[in-house]
Amino acid sequence: MDTLSRRKFLALSGGAGVAAAANILSVTDIAEAAITRPLPSGTPILVVVTLYGGNDGLNTVVPYSDSLYYSLRPDISYAPDKVLQLDSSLGLNPAMGAIKSLWDKKKVAIIRGVGYPNPDHSHFSSMAIWQSAERTQTTKSGWLGRWVDTQPEDPLLAINLGSVLPPLLVGKKRSGSVLPLGGLITPVGSLARDCSRLSLPAQGENALAARAATSLRNLLNISESVSPILKAPAPAATDLPTVNGGNAGGDNNLSQQLDVVAKLVTAGAPTRVWAVSLGGFDTHANEANAQSELIGIVSNSVARFLTQLEPSGRSKDVTVLIYSEFGRRVAANASAGTDHGTSGPVFVIGDRVQGGFFGDQPSLSNLYKGDLAVTTDFRDIYATLLEDVLKTPAGQVLNGWKGRVTSLLRKG
Amino acid sequence: MAAMSAEQERLALSRLFHRYGFGPKPGEFEKAVKNGFEVTKKSFLIKPTVEQLGVDIAPITIDDLGPRPTPGTFANTEYQIKQRTQIKEMTLWWLDQMVTTDYSLNEKMTWFWHGHWATSIEKLNFALPMYKQNLTFRNNALGNFASLSKAMYDDGALQYWLDGQENTAKAPNENLSREFMELFTLGVGRYSEDDVKALARVFTGIQVQRTNGVVTFNPRRHDNSAVTLLGTTQVFTEDQAIDLLVARDDSSRFIYERLWYRFISSTENFPANYNRGAFANRDIHSAITDLVSSPNMYAPQFAMVKSPVEWFVALCRSLKITPSTTKNVNALIGGLQKLSQVPFAPPNVGGWPAGELWLTSASAQFRLTLAQAVLKNTDLAELKAVTPGQRVKYLQDLLGVYQWSKRTSDALTIARNEPERLFLLAINSPEYVVGA
Repeated sequence: MDTLSRRKFLALSGGAGVAAAANILSVTDIAEAAITRPLPSGTPILVVVTLYGGNDGLNTVVPYSDSLYYSLRPDISYAPDKVLQLDSSLGLNPAMGAIKSLWDKKKVAIIRGVGYPNPDHSHFSSMAIWQSAERTQTTKSGWLGRWVDTQPEDPLLAINLGSVLPPLLVGKKRSGSVLPLGGLITPVGSLARDCSRLSLPAQGENALAARAATSLRNLLNISESVSPILKAPAPAATDLPTVNGGNAGGDNNLSQQLDVVAKLVTAGAPTRVWAVSLGGFDTHANEANAQSELIGIVSNSVARFLTQLEPSGRSKDVTVLIYSEFGRRVAANASAGTDHGTSGPVFVIGDRVQGGFFGDQPSLSNLYKGDLAVTTDFRDIYATLLEDVLKTPAGQVLNGWKGRVTSLLRKG
Repeated sequence: MAAMSAEQERLALSRLFHRYGFGPKPGEFEKAVKNGFEVTKKSFLIKPTVEQLGVDIAPITIDDLGPRPTPGTFANTEYQIKQRTQIKEMTLWWLDQMVTTDYSLNEKMTWFWHGHWATSIEKLNFALPMYKQNLTFRNNALGNFASLSKAMYDDGALQYWLDGQENTAKAPNENLSREFMELFTLGVGRYSEDDVKALARVFTGIQVQRTNGVVTFNPRRHDNSAVTLLGTTQVFTEDQAIDLLVARDDSSRFIYERLWYRFISSTENFPANYNRGAFANRDIHSAITDLVSSPNMYAPQFAMVKSPVEWFVALCRSLKITPSTTKNVNALIGGLQKLSQVPFAPPNVGGWPAGELWLTSASAQFRLTLAQAVLKNTDLAELKAVTPGQRVKYLQDLLGVYQWSKRTSDALTIARNEPERLFLLAINSPEYVVGA
């Protein structure tokens, strides 16, 4: 799949095609709430960045001192002097200068070899596992959706940017909300009156038709006046990293999504979980440029986002999680690309994060069927974020999961 | 099927027209109600011969654009314009086909297979291979699934889309082999990772000319060793491997699951104990006949959302509007883009989603705008000829709607003296956007 179609994939299916009834919010709704009941300063906020398609972990955190890396990937490897060295054996992809700056400030935790037992190589299944945090798909709920279930009901608690709710935010009782990018033109005048008649509840109506009526009603509920918050430019970034072009114009969808999140967080939206995403990581062929470009977008967008939050002081409250459904096969294929693999690095970034490496780096000499070993279960990270960022006992959300990543976040 | 009540019959007919076709043309639904479900079903299920399809399909010529001129030259700019023009013409050609065809079932199955073997023009960038693929869907739409699967293996667009041309003995590329099992023939979890690797080896050696979709086999790039595929160890030809996959019970289950998801319910699961005898020989027409003949046709719990293309085409059919001849072609295609569904451009290899995902406030807004654009191409003379008191009922039959709710009927009645307003509301009503 090419880059463009993966992006559309996000917009449409949220990765696993789980249909869910989501509250559709407008920026006005959120802006209003930000004014009437702002999130108390100091309340931790989690921002989840999902990379769809299977990001190549070995070309994200590069084992540049391992000769096996070069022999297994003759055409798509990065030379030691090109990578952004983090220690004597690992370095970041050359496009990740912005995250490297944050690493130097001890704000980046890299958890290595993250995955789950008996890896599934299907995009759809593996993403469903990551988003549900369940190895067998007995329930169709997502881990943060189940977190929403534990909280007092509030449609603004967890918000996905884009028009479709990802399975991640689908709870058993309730779900997160969605905020479509770009404004909606709402019907006015007699058409609005007609639509409001058409969208009344009808007795005995099937659930889908009722949902169609609701969507029409919600459209009318969105205020005609676009909130000043969305009209205003994104908060200025004060010390934008300039490595690798730094702020490279950000006209990609991820930076747009994060721009909106930055505005709303700055305004004091009472939202504690935000979900954003970028697609296109399924690099079966001619990988080097494509993957580097995409991971560069992630790096620049996230760094820019955190910088945008600094003037409001909210950057101290935000923790960013970056993950993908799997890494890629260690050896390159014939097409200068890589096939679906297993474990990969997960990034946790923010002021509250204890910078450094966590988990063991999977060995390149000890592969299982050509794939990397899994050294950290992804649920360890989720459990840690639930407890140390969202201050919620992980057990009820993660079915009693015991593992944790020790010292991932600073105390206090 | 046991005898149906008049209401059940109307529900079954509404589903027949909208799910197994692209909605009724003017007068068709009224006639069907008169003739009854069984008679209508019989003519609906007609499987066209290749000759009949040849007459039904409006001809279109797409030239092979050949090698790309040097970047930066005027010739290259012209070439890119041709690429874009061809894609637009082909997209309109197919939309026209959906709107005008008299073989609705075959057309709907062509659409179904496009979503099943989902290949996107956005990677191919050339119309000709996608057009050839469409003809393959068309000619095999109601045929044998094993034959279709083999024809798809030989399809240049699919091979290119899933990197088949990069899959060599020296270093296999698993993209095609994985999706062949996961999304095309068996379903996820019904094979092992070793099977993916084995099938990738069997599939090595294909080369594709991107501009025209011509597929050639290069024996030097092919891995001719024995592999173990789903428990059978031998040297496989690709046909033998495909036969092995398609013959499995899992393949019958998977295709039934997909048909169920698109034609019966995207919310209720395919029943595990469903009798799949009709697909024993992998005859697609027989499986469809089975679905259309089942009491599920009037079971009230199986409402389905029309996808944007289904909604748009049904609307055009009811107004006899041929998309390519409209005065605002770009607004129509742009409207479908906003609704996230344009033929030849599925979002990924898994095809388009279904169900509630099409029911956001944003899509409600985009449907209103697109409907207004479509209505610019008609004077609604036929609706105007109906006395206002009869118009709400007339639209119910024209559009093949099972029943208006009191809510909708009230809203329409208020607008009945203004034909354009009335029609706009009818096609944006929950009863039209979602089929009962």
